[in-house]
Amino acid sequence: MSLSGCQMKASVPPRSVPVQQTWELQLGDRIAGYFVSASLGDISIELDGAKVYAPFPGDVEPTDIEYCVVFSSAEVPAYLFRLCGLRRPKLGSVSQGEAIGSGRYLHFATLRRQPDGTWAIVEPSSSVLERILQPAL
Amino acid sequence: MQNLNTQPSHPFFLKPLLAGGLMFAIVGLLFDFQGVQALLSPSKPVSAQECETIVQAKARLSRETLAQLLAIPERDTKERVRQVVSEPYCQLPELNVRSGVVAEREAYPLEFDPKTRLVILYENDEYAGYRFDFHQ
Repeated sequence: MSLSGCQMKASVPPRSVPVQQTWELQLGDRIAGYFVSASLGDISIELDGAKVYAPFPGDVEPTDIEYCVVFSSAEVPAYLFRLCGLRRPKLGSVSQGEAIGSGRYLHFATLRRQPDGTWAIVEPSSSVLERILQPAL
Repeated sequence: MQNLNTQPSHPFFLKPLLAGGLMFAIVGLLFDFQGVQALLSPSKPVSAQECETIVQAKARLSRETLAQLLAIPERDTKERVRQVVSEPYCQLPELNVRSGVVAEREAYPLEFDPKTRLVILYENDEYAGYRFDFHQ
């Protein structure tokens, strides 16, 4: 059923995104047996099944947390956008405005590259998030 | 008179099996509709963002300049980067990636591969990083 999805996952290796901030509870941790699905710095959006879209031409990569993907673009150097909670996300190259997945909730974070190779979670702008939520902006 | 059609042409279990297989395929296609759409639709070109302002039409990055740029750490000053790469070919539209911070983006075609451009991003006159753009 999800053969194409499996093929996509096999062809795009997971990307490790070490976060600079070392908070006690991080995305992907477990507490009292429950999965931590968002962390400090994530914006959570009630998608209610709606799609999200590529804000620029770029690439969608899986991460070492199965629940999350990262989007990067040659037009926005030094930044990554982390999107968690999408069902069956489209991995690989995407055009601007192309749907990259849908879900009940989107947990969104903007990360900026640091000189030591880690990624700092920064305050996201509304304009990029609007591009992600609306295809025609 | 002998009825030639008394024996079914296929074993009795074949029809339900075919029907079941068909249903399974239909359900599979419904679940994988996104994948089917991707197969049927022609591949869309990945469009590169247009330059907003051409700054220096002859600007090209040589291998030597590129090597010098790659040695500059993020967070260094825009001035330091510009000393190495000089004026860009063009500027892309300004953008807010972080809240309240304007990102300036400048593009340089590569001298040895003009279809590829290097995009540099600055925030508050600080060098944030670069990426190669292969999608022109």
